[in-house]
Amino acid sequence: MIITLRNINKTYPGAVPLHVLKDINLDIERGELVSIMGASGSGKSTLLNILGILDNYDSGEYILDGKLIKDLGENRAAELRNRLIGFVFQSFNLISYKNALENVALPLFYQGIGRRRRNALAMEQLERMGLADRAHHLPGELSGGQKQRVAIARALVTNPAIILADEPTGALDSHTSKEVMEVFRQLNADGMTVVIVTHDPGVGESTNRIIRIVDGQITPQNA
Amino acid sequence: MKIAIFDPENWREIVATLARNKTRTFLTAFGIFWGTAMLAMLWGGANGFEGLMRRNFAGFATNLGGVFSDVRSISYRGFNKGSHWNMTVQDVEAIRRAAPAIEYSSEVNAGSATAVYGTKKKTGTALGVEGSYANISIPVMYEGRFINDSDVAGSRKVMVIGRNRAADLFGQDSPIGKFVSLNGIYFRVIGVAGQKSNASIGGRIDDSFILPSSTMRRAFNTGNTIGFFMYTAPAGYTPSDNEPAIRRVLSANHAIHPDDERAVSFMDISENFRMVDNLFLGITILAFFVGLGSLMAGVIGVGNIMWIIVKERTHEFGIRRAIGAKPADITVQVLSESILLTLVAGTAGVCFAALVLGIADTLTISPTLGKAGFELHFVTAIGIVATFFVLGSAAGTLPAVKAMQIKPIEAIRDK
Repeated sequence: MIITLRNINKTYPGAVPLHVLKDINLDIERGELVSIMGASGSGKSTLLNILGILDNYDSGEYILDGKLIKDLGENRAAELRNRLIGFVFQSFNLISYKNALENVALPLFYQGIGRRRRNALAMEQLERMGLADRAHHLPGELSGGQKQRVAIARALVTNPAIILADEPTGALDSHTSKEVMEVFRQLNADGMTVVIVTHDPGVGESTNRIIRIVDGQITPQNA
Repeated sequence: MKIAIFDPENWREIVATLARNKTRTFLTAFGIFWGTAMLAMLWGGANGFEGLMRRNFAGFATNLGGVFSDVRSISYRGFNKGSHWNMTVQDVEAIRRAAPAIEYSSEVNAGSATAVYGTKKKTGTALGVEGSYANISIPVMYEGRFINDSDVAGSRKVMVIGRNRAADLFGQDSPIGKFVSLNGIYFRVIGVAGQKSNASIGGRIDDSFILPSSTMRRAFNTGNTIGFFMYTAPAGYTPSDNEPAIRRVLSANHAIHPDDERAVSFMDISENFRMVDNLFLGITILAFFVGLGSLMAGVIGVGNIMWIIVKERTHEFGIRRAIGAKPADITVQVLSESILLTLVAGTAGVCFAALVLGIADTLTISPTLGKAGFELHFVTAIGIVATFFVLGSAAGTLPAVKAMQIKPIEAIRDK
């Protein structure tokens, strides 16, 4: 298993505490292409944030690539995010004043890798995404699909254990969405574990397994 | 381990970030530039104005005292109120014995005299002094030597001629060894002298004919009477420390009532110098605080702009955190921007101030007195830039800490 969740609970404090995730148990095997689906407010984004070590959980156990992810300090969490997880966001989240190559190379900068090697590795990923000729273009000069492929290249550049994608086609037209999903399927075919959070049934259907969340709980047939 | 501050990519990024908001960066940098320039110019300017003032007293003893005879204001032992008395050579000897704190002293006699050399004639001040006068008003010797104690003891007919008077009588020729008639008596010229400062008591050396005091008394037929007495106090004393002893001596010798303060006038230059010192201390403190105010305004500007930058870039910092940036990486990035802005603008401000001060120094240069001192010492310049560096870093610290505390999940949502 690359991901194991055991009895994960998460409550957002407030005047009326919000119990968002309730006793979540989930196993994802290495090399799976999985989608997490649910209605708005069902807890799917919270689950993705916990899987991506962007948020903490209150109780339970999360094991990622054999490492217990619990009560981590900021530095350790940053290090694990950098080495184990590749993020792909709905709004691409590229840095606007950096060109495609620099955006893709950025995670390697935080690994302390020298500029020349960073750029070489980043260029490899851009070539893999068919964007070598756009390497020196700023995000503002790229189409939505190209931006998302740059974001995928950035997610891949550190050779992570999993790719976590949050509504990766949400900002794209249907044609581009299909292209992006094709990229994910190709990555999965190459052995990469991909977890996609989506509310788009079309996207869900193009994955190997759909995990549905309702009111903070995974429906039994998908666990 | 990587150290982002040494990574060229980090610096390229900082420059790119600052360049993205050119107007804002320029205005912030100008605030820092002006702050450092003001502090440096006020600091160097205060020194320059002090130099301008002080060079008026260059070569003049700063602990100088003088004793002058005046009219009695109290009738005493048969001498009426309003009667005058004269100081004598015997008084000078008695004062030297009785006064507790005299380092150098000289009787001074001054009078108008007409000098003749060949067909040239010039009227000027004749000054009769003792050898120690050269320690009281330090002369600039252009040729020869000054009056010494042997000249006084031997009542030699020698003269030190003031530079301007020498030019009047001798033109470009050297007057040394030549004889000049002063009120009909011939004196051999032994030196040509002037003075640095504009201040003088009795007359400027440049415009005077300086004679041994004993010779002048004889030549001008004044007997034992002297004009006035000048002296300096040693370190740790003021000229006024001698006043009670001198009053006692003169009261006893000249039937002056012990309470008659007007009959004997005292001058204490050190009081004037103390006032000047206090004035410039005040100016320096004022300059420091005004400069510090400008500097603080610049630093607050840096702090403000860093807050804005952090706020604007919250989303970006969130992305960076999500893909692996540690809190320290973000802190270093924000601090680096603040430090770079401060260092570049601060150094430019100090360089500008040095240029302005250099121009002021050149404009106020005097052929005899040299530069006034409108200058910024290297150490001071470095100190100002270092102060700005520290304060600029401090100003960037709070925004940097704020940036460090940004949670990636919240920042990514903050679009």
